[in-house]
Amino acid sequence: MLISLNWLKDYVDVQVDVATLAERLTLAGNEVNRIHEQDVDFEGVVVAEVKSLRPLPGSTKNQIASVSTGQSVAEVVTGAWNLAVGDRVPYAVPGSRLNDRRIETKSFLGVPSAGMLCSAIELGLGDDAAGILILDEGATAGEDLRQLYPRDTVLELEIKSNRPDLLCHLGIAREIGAIFNVPLKEPGISKVRPADASDLVRIEAPDGCRRFNGRLLTGVTVAPSPSWMQARLRAAGVRPISNVVDITNYVMLEAGQPMHAFDYQRLKDGRIVVRRAREGEEIACLDGKTRRLTSHDMVVADTERAQGVAGIIGGAESAVQKETTEVFLEAATWEPRSIRRTARALGLRTEASSRFEKGLSPALSLAAVDRAAGLVAELGGGKPTRSTDVYPGPLKQPRIEVGVDRIARVLGVTVQPAEAASILERLHFSIARSDGVLRATPPDFRLDCTIPEDVVEEIGRVYGYDRVPSTLPGERSTVRDLYERRDADEIAREVLAGREIDEAVTNSLVSSSETPEIGIPARPASFVRIDNPMVENRDALRGSLLPGLLEALAFNARQDQPGARLFELGGGFWKKTTDVVDEPRLLAIAIHVPLGGKEAAAELRGLQATVATVRNRLAVASTDFRQAEATGFHPGRTAEILDVGGPIGIVGEVHPATLARFDLPGRVVAAEVLFDRLAAGGEVTPQARPLPRFPGVRRDLTIVIRGKTASNDLVQVIRQLGGYTLREISMVSEYQGPQLGAGARSLSFRLQYQADDRTLTNEEVATLQQRIIDGLKQRFAAEVRS
Amino acid sequence: MSVNVGDLDAIAVDARQRIGAASDEAALEQVRVELLGKKGALTGALRGLGSLPADQRAAAGARANALKGEIETMLASRARELQAARLQTLGDQEWIDMTFVPSPVRRGHLHPLTLILREVKAIFSRLGYEVALGPQVEDEFHNFEALNIPQEHPARDTMDSFYVDADHLLLRTHTSPVQIRYMLSHEPPIRIIAPGAVYRRDATDPSHASQFYQVEGLVVDRDIRLSDLKGTIEYFARSLFGPDRRIRIVGDHFPFTEPSIAAAVSCGICGGAGCRSCKGGWLEILGAGMVHPQVLRNGGVDPDHYSGFAFGAGLDRLAMLKYNVTDLRLFLENDVRFLKQF
Ligand SMILES: [Zn+2]
Repeated sequence: MLISLNWLKDYVDVQVDVATLAERLTLAGNEVNRIHEQDVDFEGVVVAEVKSLRPLPGSTKNQIASVSTGQSVAEVVTGAWNLAVGDRVPYAVPGSRLNDRRIETKSFLGVPSAGMLCSAIELGLGDDAAGILILDEGATAGEDLRQLYPRDTVLELEIKSNRPDLLCHLGIAREIGAIFNVPLKEPGISKVRPADASDLVRIEAPDGCRRFNGRLLTGVTVAPSPSWMQARLRAAGVRPISNVVDITNYVMLEAGQPMHAFDYQRLKDGRIVVRRAREGEEIACLDGKTRRLTSHDMVVADTERAQGVAGIIGGAESAVQKETTEVFLEAATWEPRSIRRTARALGLRTEASSRFEKGLSPALSLAAVDRAAGLVAELGGGKPTRSTDVYPGPLKQPRIEVGVDRIARVLGVTVQPAEAASILERLHFSIARSDGVLRATPPDFRLDCTIPEDVVEEIGRVYGYDRVPSTLPGERSTVRDLYERRDADEIAREVLAGREIDEAVTNSLVSSSETPEIGIPARPASFVRIDNPMVENRDALRGSLLPGLLEALAFNARQDQPGARLFELGGGFWKKTTDVVDEPRLLAIAIHVPLGGKEAAAELRGLQATVATVRNRLAVASTDFRQAEATGFHPGRTAEILDVGGPIGIVGEVHPATLARFDLPGRVVAAEVLFDRLAAGGEVTPQARPLPRFPGVRRDLTIVIRGKTASNDLVQVIRQLGGYTLREISMVSEYQGPQLGAGARSLSFRLQYQADDRTLTNEEVATLQQRIIDGLKQRFAAEVRS
Repeated sequence: MSVNVGDLDAIAVDARQRIGAASDEAALEQVRVELLGKKGALTGALRGLGSLPADQRAAAGARANALKGEIETMLASRARELQAARLQTLGDQEWIDMTFVPSPVRRGHLHPLTLILREVKAIFSRLGYEVALGPQVEDEFHNFEALNIPQEHPARDTMDSFYVDADHLLLRTHTSPVQIRYMLSHEPPIRIIAPGAVYRRDATDPSHASQFYQVEGLVVDRDIRLSDLKGTIEYFARSLFGPDRRIRIVGDHFPFTEPSIAAAVSCGICGGAGCRSCKGGWLEILGAGMVHPQVLRNGGVDPDHYSGFAFGAGLDRLAMLKYNVTDLRLFLENDVRFLKQF
């Protein structure tokens, strides 16, 4: 909302500087986003009409504009190219002044230039420096530009959606009056009530229209509005059009009630019908567009067709034009939801619709139509003849009881009852006071106050939140689940960071059609779809974090950052049944290996160890892997991550074909796991055990096998045969090479034997080792070296 | 071999000369071995004492032992001299370039949103808050209706939603639905923060994204006042941004709080004078207010017995302010050159 300080001063004396005014308005909840101050002082700048344009001989940058001020024609050299013949432009004549700069006749390449044409920024009227400021067509050549643009300061306010009453100068003046405790000077309104015209208006859809005020004026002369009115409209960001239209806008910007003016003679049968549109009914609107309506939309029609979309935009057919002599002024109160729905359906937001959809008080429209009729009579020479006011359910404001103690209970500060009452009265509430209770009735222009808390807020924001003390809630809160315990997320993150993996956060929204099929196998086959995506390739919720991470690896590779190592801890979206979406927490890791398959294999082992380490820090159980195959993964380099209850995730190399979809050279190893299952036990609290009292025995075992034998299977056999005293089996190394021959691998294990009650003898251990060796030879046709 | 006193004198002269000539500790050790070692000159002389007549043997023995003592003294003294000389030039002898430092051990870096959430959690855990979580796929009741935002309410303009599953569900547009869920499942007193991702159909620019992060706070108890909210905000903002920051509370409007306020901290760049990074010296950090009585009722809490406050802040905005991030889009881009700065 743009508020002109010049205009504001009609209604209230502002006795402070503009910075203080802005600060106090902001504190009270009306945030001033910007203060536009005209910092250019100009004198002698007039409106000129461009008569002709021709190039400046010898220059490719400048041209010569011949401009008229009505009385005389002058030639001015300009570097701007946004001009056209007929444009009205600001012309600083020789002898005029822009701040301290005196404008004279100057010579360009031997051609004299009598003064200059000005851009918005040169005049302090805007930020545009690109070209000459083009004025409205209605500007009169020769007129002093100060008439069109008086020196003014404009406040840009952000009005909260519950306060449509503040979307006007009078509203802001009321706030200032309340904040600074100064009186309000309301505009004088002639309350002419001419002959009744209820037969002119028929309301067929009363649920969409709470009040309808109309006024018919005859003998109107449509002309430009006076420059003071144009200047005010411009300051408030509205383009002047003609006196009648300008008056309707002026009244809206003054008192907050949007209005519309019809050319009465163009209304079929001279009747207004307020109804719902017919399904598919079309209307040519003021902005030149034709719109199709539905039976939800409210229209203001004549007996034949819609002449305006109620509360949003007028129709072109019955618009006020130069020849119009009879004007029907409308000021109505429309049902906010209906306006909002229609405005959204049409994709059209106007000054009117944005006010109506917030819920305007029906108390505004009568005064507005009176005010506008008075102004039309004054400025357009018309005469109000007939009047109508359809208002079946008059507004009844609540009387809200607020205990004085309640103010203190909500705000935490004691506001004296007299001060509280004074604040409310300054805000135009009517107040009755009796033993510690304020009975407050909101002013009729406000619909936002219904409960005591609303009234307390009014007191609080004007009293000043800076005067409220700072306390902390009392310490009665029971200690339930103090956040002392470090959660599993944090532990996992630290382990992963320690393994040189950076944390990523990727988008939850993905493409349902282009996302390559890869991820934790437990995810459902289909995506949870977005009904109204903003862009086509973000039309679904991710089932797996891996596609996002792979995209991030590819992004980094393109930024010349190959070899990125990323993890993400976040939610997946799995459709369970209709209406139920599961949001499992997933941990995904993806590591880019810019080199070949051999390096990827080593990195994959490292990744498995990383997964095992995370689990080891979080849960008691150890981590098992089972060779597996999964879509999107390398057929020979993939494993399921197992929990006692079954698979909880997947780890492997990404299939080269999947990688190609991301245009990512090299290899990628990746894992994804159900985090809550991985973290099952939460943080492990270490439990000490007695140290062994007798020495243990360590033995190494190297096994050479052929083919795709899983070492897991070997370990199982070793464990079985090693019996109770075999406490620990660790995989030490793996070797493949020319000495072993093609297809053979040697695996080294370290076995730790230990008994609680005695020192193991070498013979005992040798027997066990031999039993294991024999077993392995037999089961796996393995060659075993002890 | 026979030994006489003259031999011992010659050894003494020779020893003094050789010890004095030893130029370093290794040479001195060599001299020591040559004199006192198993095959050393003096050792040989001592061994030869046995062949002397008994009357001379005692005197020669005494002389030889005295000589051994002298040589040892000379050796020790020369050793001290040589060590002192060596230590004097130690810096030159064993110099290494201490400014040639290998890079720190590589580590992974946690996401700035994780880091800021850690700080926020730490601050509120000191005040006894718990962390509560809610689903990102929400329903209209929790996301809107229970928060006093019915269909066609103007507040929905700023919260254009992504709908899911034939309009039955939506992606939450703020973390406030967690307020309702928590109140419905817990009795007061309540003291929670609720962080997480939220979604709005906003066009992407340096300060807007369709996916961003918030942290919600809710306190419900007997006699909770706006002054408690103000104190909590001040404690939070000063803990996060520094004790020298000023905090400004202004009026605001949210459908689910009454009264509603907004809080800003003084700009750390200009100190409150106003600059390009702030709005007149202030940086807005959160919206808040006293929980609307109807919202308490919707959460199953009796507003006649309890009151409460709630606040909501943009986690990404807090991270931007604290870590000087100027473009919101960096958070979801995952450029490692960005991530490795944290
Ligand atoms: Zn600043």
